[in-house]
Amino acid sequence: MDNLSDNALMLKVKAGDLDKMGLLFERYHRSLYGFLFHMTNQKEASEDMTQNVFYRMLKYRNAFVGDGEFRTWMYHLARNVLNDHAKKNIRNKAQYDIKDFEERIGGSTLADEQFEKEEELNMLEKALGSLSTENRELLILSRYQELSYQEIAKILDTTEGAIKVRVHRAMGQLKSIYFKINV
Amino acid sequence: MKCEYDKERLTYLLNNPVNDVERIALEEHLAECLDCQKEFEQSQKLWAIMGEIPKPVPSANMRTDFYAMLEDYKETVAEKNNLLTSILAKFKQLWTIQPALQLSYSFMLILFGLSMGYFINHLNVRQASNQEITALSSEVQEMKKMMMMSLLENPSASERMRAVSYSEEITEVNTQVVDALLMTLNNDENVNVRLMTLEALTKLSNNARVREGLVQSITKQDSPLVQSAIADVMVKLQEKKSIKPLQKLLKQDNLNEMVKDKIKQSINQLI
Repeated sequence: MDNLSDNALMLKVKAGDLDKMGLLFERYHRSLYGFLFHMTNQKEASEDMTQNVFYRMLKYRNAFVGDGEFRTWMYHLARNVLNDHAKKNIRNKAQYDIKDFEERIGGSTLADEQFEKEEELNMLEKALGSLSTENRELLILSRYQELSYQEIAKILDTTEGAIKVRVHRAMGQLKSIYFKINV
Repeated sequence: MKCEYDKERLTYLLNNPVNDVERIALEEHLAECLDCQKEFEQSQKLWAIMGEIPKPVPSANMRTDFYAMLEDYKETVAEKNNLLTSILAKFKQLWTIQPALQLSYSFMLILFGLSMGYFINHLNVRQASNQEITALSSEVQEMKKMMMMSLLENPSASERMRAVSYSEEITEVNTQVVDALLMTLNNDENVNVRLMTLEALTKLSNNARVREGLVQSITKQDSPLVQSAIADVMVKLQEKKSIKPLQKLLKQDNLNEMVKDKIKQSINQLI
């Protein structure tokens, strides 16, 4: 049963075998949570949103046709949930990343080497946080979700060539911000 | 020298496997192009640091929350299904039993109404028409009687004959009519009218008054035709009372020879 493809499992869910959603949860909840956390930097909200994505999979199971990849569909739903979340939190958006960084910086009474590493990561997160949502999303999908350009293109509903250009630009932007702060 | 190497490709290669041919070409290019070398190194460094960011791990609550949500959802789906089926069943009931009852009830009402309407209407019409017809026919009868009476006094023989023929159409013959006919039989000057009257009276011979009048009329006739005809009628009716008047008729002097024979024959038949 565990060997069934994502699509086959989702089609079973669609046919009424709702327990199969458990298997899909085990397969994807970590990476989904990772995506949402990287996008928002909010722990609890990301957990809620992950839950919400799986709830929507159940609710809209009849909309799953099975001719595309399950993962693509999942990221579509996740991006919708993310959009809703962003709309709801448009007012407290400004404080969202800073709070988490401050917590980390404040809590660092470690050895120099470790402190340096920590600092490096903080800089990177700051740089990532200052990117536009679109560029941040591209880099997260490519770096952390480890998706191919082809898959990203499907999720963002565009061509592979366009993704290639956009990822390069996003990377360039991140580099210029990161190395400027870091120098 | 301007570098024409595909910079986007450099970014692409950070995350994707490279085949040997491309790697050699890349290394060769990086060896001679410092710009690309620098850019690629920076990219690789950044890419590596990005990878060092610890993987976000969800709390353990998430799994329990998810399974609780799944169970919850399954229940609501089951409830929905139950609700749906129960609603469907109710609809079925609504659309099968109740309408059948209502339909048959209304159908019966319509049928009842129709039959009642037809019955009442029919009754009325029949009663009315019956009344009208009887009234009309009695009126017609009265008219015919009146016509007959007045026509019998008409100077034209043919009109009087028509009056006699009317008597045959009158269903209820009263004494007035019988008397008028007998009067005609005895007194009319035209032989044909008298013969016809005799014929008409023969048909009414069930009436005792008619028979009596006929018997009395035997002696009063002077036409040989009427005399022989009345003798025939007597034979036909087997009227014994007529023997005496017939014998009396025989004794008359001016009686036709043929009529004499005829009357003798009749008397014989009657005795």
